[in-house]
Amino acid sequence: MLLEKKLIEQLLDAGLSRGADFAEVFVEDTASTVLQSLSGRLEKVNSTKSFGVGIRLAKELNIVYGYTNSKNPEDLLKLANDLSKSFNGDKSTERAPLNELEVGKRHKAKILPSDVSLEDKVAIMKKAYKAADEYDEAIKQVMVYLLDNEQNVLIANSEGRFVSDKRVRVRCGINAVAAKEGVMQTGHEGPGAGKGYEYLLEEIDIDDYAKEAARTAITMLNAEECPSGVMSVVMHNGFGGVIFHEACGHPLEATAISKNASVFNGKMGKKIASDVVTAIDDGTIENAWGSANFDDEGYPQQRRVLIKDGILKSYMIDKLNGRRMKAEATGSSRRQNYKFAPTSRMSNTYIDNGKSTFEEIIADTKYGLFAKKLGGGSVNPGNGDFNFAVSEGYIIRDGKIAEPVRGASLVGNGGNILTKIDMVANNLLRARGMCGSVSGSIPADVGQPTLRVTDITVGGKRGA
Amino acid sequence: MMNIDKLFKVAKEKGVSDIQVYQSNSNNLSINIYKGDVEKYEIAESSSLVIKGIYNNKMGTYRTEVFEDSLIDEIVDTIIASAKVIDSLDDAIIYAGDDKYEEVEGLYSQELTDLDVAKKIELAKKLDKQFYDADSRVKHVEASYSERTNSVLLKNSKGLELKNKANASYIVGEVIVNDGEDQRTGFDVQITNDFSDYDVDKFVNEIVEDALASLGAKPVPSKNYPIVFSSLAFATLFSAFQGIFSAQAVQKGLSLLKGKLETEIGSSLVNVVDDPFMKKSSSSRSFDDEGVATKHKYLIKDGVLKTFLHDLVTAKKDGVESTGNSFGGGISAVNLKVEAGDATLEEMFNSMESGLYITNVQGAHAGANAVSGDFSLQAAGYLIENGKKVQPVALITVAGNFIEMLKNVETVGNKLKMTYFGITCPAIKIKSMPVSGK
Repeated sequence: MLLEKKLIEQLLDAGLSRGADFAEVFVEDTASTVLQSLSGRLEKVNSTKSFGVGIRLAKELNIVYGYTNSKNPEDLLKLANDLSKSFNGDKSTERAPLNELEVGKRHKAKILPSDVSLEDKVAIMKKAYKAADEYDEAIKQVMVYLLDNEQNVLIANSEGRFVSDKRVRVRCGINAVAAKEGVMQTGHEGPGAGKGYEYLLEEIDIDDYAKEAARTAITMLNAEECPSGVMSVVMHNGFGGVIFHEACGHPLEATAISKNASVFNGKMGKKIASDVVTAIDDGTIENAWGSANFDDEGYPQQRRVLIKDGILKSYMIDKLNGRRMKAEATGSSRRQNYKFAPTSRMSNTYIDNGKSTFEEIIADTKYGLFAKKLGGGSVNPGNGDFNFAVSEGYIIRDGKIAEPVRGASLVGNGGNILTKIDMVANNLLRARGMCGSVSGSIPADVGQPTLRVTDITVGGKRGA
Repeated sequence: MMNIDKLFKVAKEKGVSDIQVYQSNSNNLSINIYKGDVEKYEIAESSSLVIKGIYNNKMGTYRTEVFEDSLIDEIVDTIIASAKVIDSLDDAIIYAGDDKYEEVEGLYSQELTDLDVAKKIELAKKLDKQFYDADSRVKHVEASYSERTNSVLLKNSKGLELKNKANASYIVGEVIVNDGEDQRTGFDVQITNDFSDYDVDKFVNEIVEDALASLGAKPVPSKNYPIVFSSLAFATLFSAFQGIFSAQAVQKGLSLLKGKLETEIGSSLVNVVDDPFMKKSSSSRSFDDEGVATKHKYLIKDGVLKTFLHDLVTAKKDGVESTGNSFGGGISAVNLKVEAGDATLEEMFNSMESGLYITNVQGAHAGANAVSGDFSLQAAGYLIENGKKVQPVALITVAGNFIEMLKNVETVGNKLKMTYFGITCPAIKIKSMPVSGK
């Protein structure tokens, strides 16, 4: 046990002592390793051991949060007492007895990071390097990183919740740099999973990803600058889902909704997307990158249908924003680590399969951009304006994929892009991402099938 | 705290030739206000210890938030195991120290720490209230006050022992304005460790005025425009390309600046310095994470690239001295500053028959390629015609190449602003850049 049950009870009691109506203790013990290599040579091995306790108290809509990495009962009790002093009242809420400890049963890791030697981890990286390096002589640099993370959490609250969970994640990233005549272009792949080293050692062949990163870099090296203007854009499956994540997912989080600060406020049950759009946030997918048994408030992760056939069906809600919204939490509360109070966040978020095929969508497009791979992006949560980089793009001409183009970005608005999706294919693919927001940086899957947006502003270096 | 002497002793016994610890202790406070109430109040104390050890001339690293002496063997063993798999050709260096370290004044303010928390809450509440009072079109406000105190101790087996203590506070204001037809946002941050610096009226008015002025913003036609970047917009763009000044990136062939030392990479108006002793910056430091004394230096002087940023390893490779820029496991500037020129904003506007004043760029982490220098970023601001703001502009992208842009700097503004990117710069006018809009 990360912290004695008796001490946890004392902390919750201290938290409730001056009028708070809710107290929560989050204990975390995490071990992680990050390895980094350049051109096949291992440059860095960083091992980290983290431990900390976060205590959160609430009285109605007011929240106090504190954390420390002390294990000392006196320090912890002092923190709980200091926090409780924010409420100048008398004790108003009785603590429910802690339930039997519930231990997360799913998303198990077969081969824990601590059971794999550094030599074996390095061997995966060297293999990836070799595959990317040998792909083409224009590949000048290959960076490979490998990271693993084992997070053990214990979460208890004054309503009797008492759970523990182990979250194991591994990821290997390959960054290939191609250069020719003073021009450099990069390609990136970063497979990962919410499981142990069985993923990298047994389930996938890292060579496939390394070659794909190299192929993107080479393709972009030989690409022309993208023309700019408003056009149809076909976004490919997989990481293309980042557009939904950023532009539509974030505004559906209670963080924005509870304060009436989202473009989707007041839209529940209403049509916010075209009929072909169904979108899901599912934190229960077995061993997925963004899955967990429990959210960071200790409640079971869930599968949430956000949009069904264009109609808004659900927000993503954490307990305390739920109070403001007078709505039930949806098991969506997450945080990077004990240094962050949890709040509503996405898990594995994707647009679901439609009825078209990839071939049909391309054939149906007379002129436009095929955004095969998207880079990162950002969105202004206040008005939904977004911006995404296209890391691998092609012009579509007369229903056929034509020449590659580079330097493109997509600019639009989350509130209306959903209504402009007119075709969705049946080739759903999810991809790994790291999502940054108020409660820190957390692993989250994005995903979608290939889909078409009828008109969107494409920014490129080649003048209009 | 862990017994450092014991750690050093065990490391030596196991064959670690040199070892260094970097101990950091932080205290944080943050107060968020929502509609007049303290919505979130946060206090925290945390520590970490980063241990670097050299074994067989390779460096192993271990970071821990657990400080029990029982962990010492595991730490040393992990450092040795890490060093054994590292096959980089880079040297591993632990530094004996410099003769002299600059005194940086004003990094820590005891008055700030001692100031009653009630005053800090009052300031945050005042911010929130004034935002709502400023205009009826202000529909949503996020106002907060935060404070952070950080103490650092660097100690190594070569006898070096250095300490630094700094604190800073900052206020953040974010508003959504809505006039029934359009919704826009405003945002700014002010950082200081002198509480009397806060001018709530000015802070609030600037954010609200800017947000209101952008209501009704729409794209402009796609074509090339002369562009004036505000300090903040230019700093955002510059921050995406900071990495190209790192000697590590250069040596690895990952920077466009490779081979460009002492050559022109910008217009003669461009002067960029790294000033580690800048007043009122909580990042200011007298030593870096390797214990090297920090230095004031020009990166770009009159458009000519003068130096890269070095740590001990990259400096040895290039046969130069470290510039004292090893921070957070990588290489970065302490306080980047683009030096001011002599033009006022009005003069820059007046020089454009039809151009853009860009006050905001977004997506710099994604739409900017630090390896190729290419960028294509979402931008917002104003259309300027004959020196006047005639229309707010949004949903456009500004594209270009960072080096080409520096070469096309036509005018440099006379007013410096320290931005929350840690970059201080004036407004800057670029001759012409492609913009895509409608």
